[in-house]
Amino acid sequence: MNLKRTLAVVVVGGALVGQTVRADDADELKALKQEIEALDQKVRILERNGELDKEAAADKAKAAPIFKADGSGFTFSSADTNFVTSLHGLIQFDNRTFFGDKGVNGNDGFLLRRARPIFTGTVFHDFDYNFTPDFGGTSVQIFDAYLNYRYQPWLQFRAGKFKAPVGLENLQADAVTAFNERSVVNDLIPNRDVGFQVWGDIDGGVLSYAVGVFNGVGDARNSANFDFEDNREFAGRIFAQPFKNTNIKPLKGLGIGVAGTWGESSVTNTTGLPSTTGGTLGGYTTDGQQQFFAYNPATGSVVQNGVHWRISPQAYYYFGPFSLLGEYAVSDQHLRRIGPSPAKADLQNTAWQVTAGWVLTGEDATYSGVTPRHPFDPKNGGWGAWQLVGRYGQLDIDNNTFPLFANPASSATALETYSFGLNWYLNKDITVKASYSHTGFTGGGKSATPSAPSNVTHQDEDVFFTRIQLAF
Amino acid sequence: MKNILKSGLLTALAAAAIGLTVTSQASAKDVTLLNVSYDPTRELYTDFNKAFAAYWKQKTGDDVKINQSHNGSGKQARSVIEGLPADVVTLALAYDIDALYEKGQLIPKDWQKRLPNNSSPYTSTIVFLVRKGNPKGIKDWDDLARTNVSVVTPNPKTSGGARWNYLAAWAWASQKYNGDETQIKDYISKLFKNVPVLDTGARGATTTFVQREIGDVLIAWENEAYLSLKEFGTNQFEIVNPSLSILAEPPVTWVDRVVKKNHTADIAQAYLEYLYTPEGQEIVARNFYRPRLQEVADKYKSQFPDIKLVTIDAFGGWGKAQATHFADGGTFDQIYKPN
Repeated sequence: MNLKRTLAVVVVGGALVGQTVRADDADELKALKQEIEALDQKVRILERNGELDKEAAADKAKAAPIFKADGSGFTFSSADTNFVTSLHGLIQFDNRTFFGDKGVNGNDGFLLRRARPIFTGTVFHDFDYNFTPDFGGTSVQIFDAYLNYRYQPWLQFRAGKFKAPVGLENLQADAVTAFNERSVVNDLIPNRDVGFQVWGDIDGGVLSYAVGVFNGVGDARNSANFDFEDNREFAGRIFAQPFKNTNIKPLKGLGIGVAGTWGESSVTNTTGLPSTTGGTLGGYTTDGQQQFFAYNPATGSVVQNGVHWRISPQAYYYFGPFSLLGEYAVSDQHLRRIGPSPAKADLQNTAWQVTAGWVLTGEDATYSGVTPRHPFDPKNGGWGAWQLVGRYGQLDIDNNTFPLFANPASSATALETYSFGLNWYLNKDITVKASYSHTGFTGGGKSATPSAPSNVTHQDEDVFFTRIQLAF
Repeated sequence: MKNILKSGLLTALAAAAIGLTVTSQASAKDVTLLNVSYDPTRELYTDFNKAFAAYWKQKTGDDVKINQSHNGSGKQARSVIEGLPADVVTLALAYDIDALYEKGQLIPKDWQKRLPNNSSPYTSTIVFLVRKGNPKGIKDWDDLARTNVSVVTPNPKTSGGARWNYLAAWAWASQKYNGDETQIKDYISKLFKNVPVLDTGARGATTTFVQREIGDVLIAWENEAYLSLKEFGTNQFEIVNPSLSILAEPPVTWVDRVVKKNHTADIAQAYLEYLYTPEGQEIVARNFYRPRLQEVADKYKSQFPDIKLVTIDAFGGWGKAQATHFADGGTFDQIYKPN
C-alpha cells in the first residue's frame, strides 16, 4: 500500500512538477506544492480508512459465531463462548461368542450395544446441559438429561437424570472403559437416577465431592423418568487426587475415595430389586451379561422392604502407560418375601474388582482414556495405540438369601471372574476391542429349567467379546 | 469380625483420602487481575502495575499478575457487560461504568461513592496537538472549523475520549454563541466536516495523526499529547492549549460480580486504592495525568498549565449528556455525515 501511495504521489507530483518547469511564477510553484501535499493527504486518508476497515472487519470476525469440527465432535459457539452447542456420538457394534455353554440359546451374536447422539452445551456462560438418548438395545431410552449450573468449579448444581455418584468404573465414560462390559462391582451400585446433586472439584480436582438426593433405584438399574414410590435415596462420594498438582510424577495419577448411598422404601413391586438384565427377575449378571443370580424363590416373590444402603471404597493409579483401577462395593438391602411362607431379611452382597492395563505403544493411560500418539495411517507409519488389559473380580451373595429369597438350585451364591483383552485405539475416535472372560460359579447349576439363571450356572462361562466403536 | 474389618478398611480409606488432600493444599498464592481500561492508559498502567505488584508482594507475600486490556472506553464497557471478566475497570468516563450497573447489574448503583473524588483518582483535560511550527496557525476551537484545517478526533460513539473532545468543543461554542443551539450545532457540524478519519479510540487517533501523518491538529487527551511529545520529540509536534476545555475525570471501580467469583475483591480494591497513595499519584503524574493529591499536584505544577475548565455538570451530568448528544438519533448523529 505504501508503494501504491508513493507511486501515486510521484506520478501526480511528477506531472505537476512538469508543469512547474513551464511556470515562471513562484506563487504557481507554491500552489502546485500545496496540491501535491493535498493529494498526499488524500492518499494517506484512503490508506488509513482502509486500515480501519480491516480492523473493523477483524473485530466483526471475532464476534462471529464459531463452528468447529474435530475429533471431539461438532461445536457451534458464540464468539465469547457464552453459548455453546456440541454434538457428540457413540456407536458400539459388538460380537459375543460363548464357548461350552451347553444349550444356552440366544446369547451369541452381533449387538448394537450403544447408539447415542449426545447433545451437550452451555447457555449464559455458566449453565451446561446434556441430553443423551440411546437407540441401542431393545428400546429407545433417555440416558442423560440434565442441567448443570457452574457457580465455581468447586460448587456446581446438577438436576435431571444422570449417573449417581457412586461407582468408580461406572462414572468412567462408556467409550473409555477397559473392557466391553463393566465389572461385577457394577452389579451392586446404582446406574443413572433422577435427582439433584451438589458437587465440585476443589483445587482443579485434588479433591472432588458430590452429594445428591435421588428417586433411588435398584442395583445396576437405570431410573425410569419418574419415581416409583414416595421415599428418596441419598448418594455421596468423595474422591481425592492428593498429588495431582505436585511435581511427584509417580504419584500424580493416584486417586482414592469412597462413595455410598442410603435410602428407605417399601414397595409391592420388584422395581427396588436389582436390574433384570439377562433374565426376567431382578438379579445380578456376569461379565457376559448373563444372569447368574435372581431373587427367584421356588414359590412367592421378593420385594424391597426398608433400608437399602451401599458403600464403595475405590482407587485408581495411572502412571505413564500403566493403569490400575480397583473398587469394592457392599449392597445391603432389607427385603420381604410375599406369598407362601412370608419372611423378611437384611441381605448383604459384596463385590470387588481390580483392572490393570499397559499401553504397549507408550502413550499415557488415563481415566479419560488413551489418545494415540500416531493415529492409524499405515501409508505414513501410523498404527494407533495398543493396550493390554486384565481384570479379576468376585461377587458374593449373602448366604441368608437362600432358600427363602432365591433358589439355590438355579442361582449361584458367588462368582469369580477373570478377563484379559487387547484394545486398539486407531485414533481419538475409533477403537477396536477384543477380550476373553472366564467366570466360575459357586452354587446353582442343579436346576433343569432352560432359562437364566439356571442354564447359566450349569457350567463356567467363557465368552469372547469384540467391539468396533466410534466415539466423537 | 467380617463387618469390623470392612468398617476398619472404609475408615482408613476415607481418612487417607482426606488426610492426603489436606497435606497437598498448602501452596504459594498467585493472583491474577484483569484491568479493562480505555485506550491511552497503556503506559500508565504498565508502570502502575509493576509498582503495585511489588507493593502487594511486600505486604502479603503473594504474587500478583495484572493483565491489561485496552480499547475505546464504550467498547470496553460493552465487552465487560458481555462477559469479559474484568476484576477492575478504569474507563474514560462514568457513563461507561454506569452501564455495568444498568445493563449488566455487575456493580452497585452507587459505585462512584466507594472511592474518593467520585472514584476518579486522576483527571485530565483536552488539548490540541499540532505539527511543529503550527503551520495552520491553530490557536483555539474556532480554528478547527476553518475549511483549510484537517482535524483528527476519534468516534464519540465508541471512544470516551472523543466524547470529552466533543463536549469541550460544545462548551467553547456555547460560550462563544451565548448558548444559541443553532450556531453551536453549525460550528460542531463544520468541525466534524474537517475530520477525514474517525478512529474507534483515542490511541488510534493518535496513530492517525502522529504515525500516518494525517491532519493538521489532533484533539487529544492532555496525557496523550504529552506522551506524543515524549516519544517523538518536541521537534515534530507542539501542544496548543485552547481558551476553554473540559475537566475529564476518568473513574475506576472493581466489578463486584467478577471479583466475587474470582475471590479477588480485597486485592482489586487495594489495587484501586493504591492509585490514591503518594506512590500511585507520582506514577499518575509521571504519565501526564493530573494528580488529585495536592502535594504531588504542587510538585508537577509546571507540567500542567492553567486552563479554564468546565465540568460535565455543565451538561447536566453524563446521563443527560449521553442521551442528548451520543445516543442513537442524538445531536452527533444529526450533525455528522461521513465524508
